[in-house]
Amino acid sequence: MNSPKHPVVILGGGIAGISAALELAKLGHEAALIEKSPFFGGHAAHFCCKATDKCQKCGACLVDQRLRELFQAPDIALYPHTELTHAERGNGHFRLAFKSKPDIIDPTRCIDCGICYDECPSIDKGAVLVAASATQHPRYFIDPEGCLLSHECLLQGCQRMCPAKAIDLTREDSAFELEASAVIVATGYQPADPASRPHYGYGRLLQVITGRELEEKLRLGEDLTRPDGQPARRLGFIQCVGSRDRLHPYCSRVCCAYGLRLAKLIRHHHPEVEAVTFYMDIQSIGADPAGFQAEACQAVHLVRAMPGGLQASPEGSLIARYLDESTDQPVSREFDLVVLAVGISPGKDNPDLAEMLDLTLTPEGFFQSLDGEHRTGTTQPGVFLAGTAEGPRSIAECISQAAAAAREVHEYIKALV
Amino acid sequence: MSILRPLEIIIAHGPELAAAGLDPHEFALAVGGFPKTRILLLDPALPEEEQQDRLRRFLGKGHRRPVVIASTDPESRAAATLRILRRTFQCNPERLSVVDLQPALEQRDKKSRRLKGLELIRLAAAHVTRAFPIHPEEVPVSTRVLVWGDSFAALKAAQELAASGYPVTLAGPKPELHPLDPEVPHLPVSAGLAALVGEVLSTDNIRVLTEVSLLAVEGAAGNFTVRLELAREVLEETAGAVILAPELEIDSHHQAFGLPAHPRLISLTEVERLLEKGEPTSFAPEEGGTVALLAGFSPESSPPGLRRVLAAAAQLLKQANLQVYLFLGQARVAAPGLEAALEAAQENGLIVFKLPDMPEIAPADGGTGLTVSFVEPVLRRPVKLSVEAAGLEEIYCAAAANAALAKVLEIPLNPRGFLQGDNVHLTPVATWRRGIYSAGPGRGVMGLDQALMDVEAAVAEVQKLLGQGAAHVPQGRAVVDRGLCVLCLTCYRVCPHRAITYDNRARIEEIACQGCGTCASECPQEAIQIRNYTDDQVTALFESFDPQLSPRIVAFLCRNSAWEAYQAALKLKHADIPPGLTAIKMPCAGKIDVDYLLRAVVYGSKAVMVLACHPDNCKSRHGNEFARWRVEQVQTYLAEVGLDPQRVLFKSLAANAPQDFLDAVAEMEARLGAMSGAPPKAAVR
Repeated sequence: MNSPKHPVVILGGGIAGISAALELAKLGHEAALIEKSPFFGGHAAHFCCKATDKCQKCGACLVDQRLRELFQAPDIALYPHTELTHAERGNGHFRLAFKSKPDIIDPTRCIDCGICYDECPSIDKGAVLVAASATQHPRYFIDPEGCLLSHECLLQGCQRMCPAKAIDLTREDSAFELEASAVIVATGYQPADPASRPHYGYGRLLQVITGRELEEKLRLGEDLTRPDGQPARRLGFIQCVGSRDRLHPYCSRVCCAYGLRLAKLIRHHHPEVEAVTFYMDIQSIGADPAGFQAEACQAVHLVRAMPGGLQASPEGSLIARYLDESTDQPVSREFDLVVLAVGISPGKDNPDLAEMLDLTLTPEGFFQSLDGEHRTGTTQPGVFLAGTAEGPRSIAECISQAAAAAREVHEYIKALV
Repeated sequence: MSILRPLEIIIAHGPELAAAGLDPHEFALAVGGFPKTRILLLDPALPEEEQQDRLRRFLGKGHRRPVVIASTDPESRAAATLRILRRTFQCNPERLSVVDLQPALEQRDKKSRRLKGLELIRLAAAHVTRAFPIHPEEVPVSTRVLVWGDSFAALKAAQELAASGYPVTLAGPKPELHPLDPEVPHLPVSAGLAALVGEVLSTDNIRVLTEVSLLAVEGAAGNFTVRLELAREVLEETAGAVILAPELEIDSHHQAFGLPAHPRLISLTEVERLLEKGEPTSFAPEEGGTVALLAGFSPESSPPGLRRVLAAAAQLLKQANLQVYLFLGQARVAAPGLEAALEAAQENGLIVFKLPDMPEIAPADGGTGLTVSFVEPVLRRPVKLSVEAAGLEEIYCAAAANAALAKVLEIPLNPRGFLQGDNVHLTPVATWRRGIYSAGPGRGVMGLDQALMDVEAAVAEVQKLLGQGAAHVPQGRAVVDRGLCVLCLTCYRVCPHRAITYDNRARIEEIACQGCGTCASECPQEAIQIRNYTDDQVTALFESFDPQLSPRIVAFLCRNSAWEAYQAALKLKHADIPPGLTAIKMPCAGKIDVDYLLRAVVYGSKAVMVLACHPDNCKSRHGNEFARWRVEQVQTYLAEVGLDPQRVLFKSLAANAPQDFLDAVAEMEARLGAMSGAPPKAAVR
């Protein structure tokens, strides 16, 4: 098989990978951007705007514009739904093997009508996935893994109904190789598992949602309701879920910011809603932490305590029990929705990827950077890190680190020649 | 007539037009009825060679005409066709208009779909036939870079730039280079960093100037004229770019908590000095004595500060066998490894009391030490603890000289006195003035790891800007009519990018200009035009409206927010966009003139919408504010002539909030429904 040459291969098409690719293009390098999921944009594409009477500087609004730039950039080759399977190096070059899920939907024919999604009997299994960002084309992806019946599907509704004749369920996985001079690992994170705090009953109590789920609801303009349809008037936010505990002995660095921004946002649009944030310590947020904290205190009731547990009340609300700091008495408080500010956990493929690329992981499971002065470098020459693959950071910090990694790559390639 | 000169129209369509009830052939025939127009129907799913062939036959050799390409979701569906047009046929982006037909397909009936489709293409044709190509030109620039400050970030920037072939002037106000690692300011740094000062001093390509004040940075990126005041002379030199990284200042914030002045209540710097001298016993004279450390009680407390406190605590425990208590307000652990370090310190014998407020500290009765009074957080009872001494965490602030520096550089200071705002549209190291970057301690309190990443990012920006001594600069994005300019300097004052200078007339510095158009809209003489957003072009759009589509609503959309939201809204299944809504993409809300709003009404608009970025989110700093003021102004004008001011609506929204766009449209429609005033007059002329 012939393997096209791309001087730089970037693993991960989230905000860090996209930014690194765009930076490299501007510095005159060709890059291949590999994304495991069918869509680019990563987690940030699912976040909502948190502006109240002014911008809250979360950076989520940048994703669509960056994606548009990415899709129009001539020197960036895009490989969605593709995974690294093998890596080796010789003569300073990497030979990387990938496998791709098939383009069952032909992008040149698809008109993003969504009929395949509507017709699919196996949606709950994830047979047809929808991109968060409208910039993505095709916006839909038929995943052979979720499509249980695959090409033996008796209905084959999607293929029959597709008005553009874009669907061919017989298309199969493909494998290919790329050669690269340098690799940027920008594989990102996975949200911490909210079930790691079982006493909050995530999955069991339907009134308990994650911050990410709240962002998604707000982004799509959905009303805030309890599972029983009643409007949610009392909101509790619990910080540090999946951070700063035995399993996650580190601060995820972004949750205070997004948790409080979400609470402020909701209070801004619905002043009648109560918002209570339970926390251990508030971290510095943004360019003016004191100002931010003062504003947050005005909008949100901050309680320095972690609820011991949540219980469903017969009226469909949740009861949180916690120790009140000023009175030292156990207090019960009712909430219609409780939002868990889940933290940043290392990607679950990190161990495999580290083995393939001969990298080491930190005790927490993130990729180990060379040292505190080289957060983008690794022990392997030619392999660089960007974004949350290296440790928890915000959107702006990911962009900044991606720019740094792009320059490191630029200098590395210059030295090779 | 709205179509000014001959043009080519390409309709790139697959089955979706027919599926939506818009017969492509019939539609093409209708479009073909436009004057001075040739038309091609093309399937964007055809193989690229085939498309290239057809386009070549259609456009002909050395084609010169502007091109309109219409398709649904053209940037994705017709991506291949666009690539061929841009690359093979070298279509200048300003002379290639890309039309999304989606708003036409949204319409309820066949007739409206056809009319809307025709209107969309007519509007694009009217605009593109008045467009001028903008070509980037290579402009010679100076490769010298001024690095300001003596932080490690500044030194590292100088070293990296010099290594990449950029001559550097490293200058700062202090008498010698004495950089500081905020996490270990008084302890030896790593070998690599320790060697940095020597390396910088011995590099030929770096000129180090100390005890300097910056007098002026004039002109624009690529060719700044920098004036530096040295001990005996004023040095004037040309620099292509400036990187700002003045060192943080350390503040022992005793006063903030009303703590008593006491010889045993000392700052962390003093604790570290004693430790460095190996004299912890002079700190707490008795072996086995107790020491208190206090951290996290100020809103300015930061992770580097906590890391220092933990390092000091570890040494006190180890060196002097002292009992160490840490009184902790907010544990600022948001930095790599800090939470683990706090845990480890506790395992090693550090006793931590987490308190809501600073404990009370008083001189001990009849002793040399101090008493710390607080409510013990677990047992919830008041405790008085005697300690031999107490050390207070320090906070980091922006260099005090930053305010003066910002004034000289004509860039705004952020609320904490740093040289960079936190506008999300700017890359984190960019300032509002192109070519001036702020890295590490120049833009915030951060650990050295983050600061050094900033340096890489800032150096990358310099490389992209200056290249090897030539910058690619689009020419003529904004043009001053020197015959009209009266040098009132309105443009100079409103330009967010400091891209306007003047001789005997205003001048646009092309390299700094971002084409936002705030100047053009504010110019009382109408002496500035933004190329391809000229008053002519906007008027031509109004002339191209189809009066059969109603209610006529004109929406001026900032391309950085509202336009993205509109594009995303078109793809929402429940999007309900009225047939008469015309979305006009603006380079920034700052370019939406009072005149456009009024003229839209004159040309028969029932309603005008201005949708801009949220406050503090404008890529051109305050274009959105200008737009809001202008809307308010227009509303008073309308009221004066007896029209309902509610016909003009201003809203701010974000790029990722399509629902907000639809809500704004719904609000406008509701206002129209509620209005009882007389319908607007038909188009004038």
